[in-house]
Amino acid sequence: MSEENKPARKRVGADLLIPVVGTLYAGYYVYSVWDFPPEAQRSGFFLAALLVGLCVILFLRTALLHFAGRAEWEFSSLLGPREGRMGRIGFVALIFAYLLVVRHAGFTLTTFAFLFAGSLLGGIGSLRKAAIFAFVTAISGWLFFIVILGTRFPRGPFENLVTMVVATWN
Amino acid sequence: MELTAGNLLELFLYSASMWWVIIPAVFIGIIMGAIPGFAAHNTIIMLLPLTLAFEADIALTFMVALYCASHLGGGVPAILLNIPGTGGAAATTLDGYPMSRKGLASRALALSFVASILAGLITSALTLFVLPYLSQVGFYIRSVEMVVVMLFGLALIAAIAAQDMIKGLIAGAFGLMLGAMGADHIYATPRGTFGILELFDGIPLVPALIGLFAISEALIMLEEKSIAAGHSKSVTPSWREALHNIGDAFKHWFLIIWTSVLGLVIGVMPGAGASIAAFVAYQQARVFSKTPEKFGTGHEQGVVAPEAANNGVTTGTLVPLLAIGIPGGSTAAVMMIVLQFHGVPFGPRLFMQNPMLAYGVIMSMFVAYIFMLITLFPLTRYLSRITIVANYYMAPTIVAFTLVGAFVPRSFIADLTIAVGFGLIGYVARKTGYHVAAILIGVILGPLLERSFLLSMRISGGDPMIFFSSNIGNVLWVLLFAMLLASPVLKLLKKRRSKGDIY
Repeated sequence: MSEENKPARKRVGADLLIPVVGTLYAGYYVYSVWDFPPEAQRSGFFLAALLVGLCVILFLRTALLHFAGRAEWEFSSLLGPREGRMGRIGFVALIFAYLLVVRHAGFTLTTFAFLFAGSLLGGIGSLRKAAIFAFVTAISGWLFFIVILGTRFPRGPFENLVTMVVATWN
Repeated sequence: MELTAGNLLELFLYSASMWWVIIPAVFIGIIMGAIPGFAAHNTIIMLLPLTLAFEADIALTFMVALYCASHLGGGVPAILLNIPGTGGAAATTLDGYPMSRKGLASRALALSFVASILAGLITSALTLFVLPYLSQVGFYIRSVEMVVVMLFGLALIAAIAAQDMIKGLIAGAFGLMLGAMGADHIYATPRGTFGILELFDGIPLVPALIGLFAISEALIMLEEKSIAAGHSKSVTPSWREALHNIGDAFKHWFLIIWTSVLGLVIGVMPGAGASIAAFVAYQQARVFSKTPEKFGTGHEQGVVAPEAANNGVTTGTLVPLLAIGIPGGSTAAVMMIVLQFHGVPFGPRLFMQNPMLAYGVIMSMFVAYIFMLITLFPLTRYLSRITIVANYYMAPTIVAFTLVGAFVPRSFIADLTIAVGFGLIGYVARKTGYHVAAILIGVILGPLLERSFLLSMRISGGDPMIFFSSNIGNVLWVLLFAMLLASPVLKLLKKRRSKGDIY
């Protein structure tokens, strides 16, 4: 058989991540209901069996492709194109930093810092532009969500300062 | 509630009195719909703090108007830049962009707007009269049928929306498993929560959908520098041309009517969605056209058919949500979550307890299209400029504003972490061909399925044969298995046929 007539190789590997996580979670779920009375176990067993059964079909299909020499193993597609990869990984790290900081610094300051650093990591290329964008967006967000709508976003030094200043006017 | 002329007029006037909500929603919807990756559900998610703060009827009117407008907005960059703003506009690029290249961008935009608005008006009026009959369906569906209906809906989403059926089914089952997390329905003992207190009530839906749709989308957006760099000169059609072409667009009234009804029918099926409807309508328009050879070269019918169909879908996807409480698509799922937050029931209970709200949804849609007719045409010239916004502005803004949206319903900081967790799941799912809508609908249906499953088992004393004891259920089981088997069988037949061609 010539190269052209060979069936196309299917890229596998990264697509097994969700079934593996799903199977592990199903196992943990069954473990967590193991001591329950049978009446309360049934639905958990049913759902876990459904998920694991489907995952096993995918694992078998992948194994068959592998043994037929039609599987091309790869995981790099998860990270997207090489260009800008470090910036995107930095962006994910920035999201986790947001989670840690927002409870202490409050919505407005954290949003400003996140937008400033996030736009730089995204490739804005100018500190001045990033600062103006972050400032305008964070202040707009504060005005719209906190001042106008009164939503209970996490409060920090900025929100407390504004509240204090407004209180002195009365 | 009897749907009399008086009731209809009252509903119409009440919906029209919401002009102050509809007009901003229409503008936001069109602008956001024109941004690729920003479907209506993403915009509604971004504006969750707003919709959660409104009264239920105002929130619903806002979401419905925004939903319709975003489908219309999706056609703008599809025509001008060959970049569909929403999945439903993908088929519009086939003839819309060639029209732009021929210097007929303004005409293509007029066709798109007229087709979308007329389709929306026709299908919402039609649905208003059919909905009372559809709402009766809920009375025939008990816990046994409900289990099969939910599995059927999830399988349909998996089969149609995902490219690989087994991956679609895994996504749905994974969602169901995650949705079953939290205290069990009999003994209130936590299951599968990793000991996290904030998960004892189950997966919070708002953070889950923010993660699956908005955060994962923002992460993917960063892979491209900008949406439409280099196209800035072609995005501004002339005023005169746009207005002149609107009249001509009405000549396609017959095509608009039947492709919009086709969209409505496809939209009623859970998971089918606008993109499938638009491609089916495009294909059908070509089959019945007198000039099929012109399709793909900038043919007017090739713009009208998909645009009418994808707006017909907007009405259709709300039907299963209102009639039986199962969301017909991503946006309906988001609406369901917002309305659940307001304590609004679905299915027959909605029609018994709050019929004005149920019919008001469709009437709001009708009124939103009328407002679009009045307000939209003068804006055609400037709409597409939004597509030039760079992703380094968009992605951080989406993450920052949606993350705090996850905080709003329960005020738990842990909900931000849950949203990010689902964001990573959504990112991996998108990258590896699993449909995030199937995961989300699984998460929503998980607790409902479990409740119906346990109720049926209690009624039968633990006999699983109860799931095969009803006629409606059995018909659905047959359809479910037929659908699951159809895809691999068709693939096999196609493979054999192509082998036959070779030899």
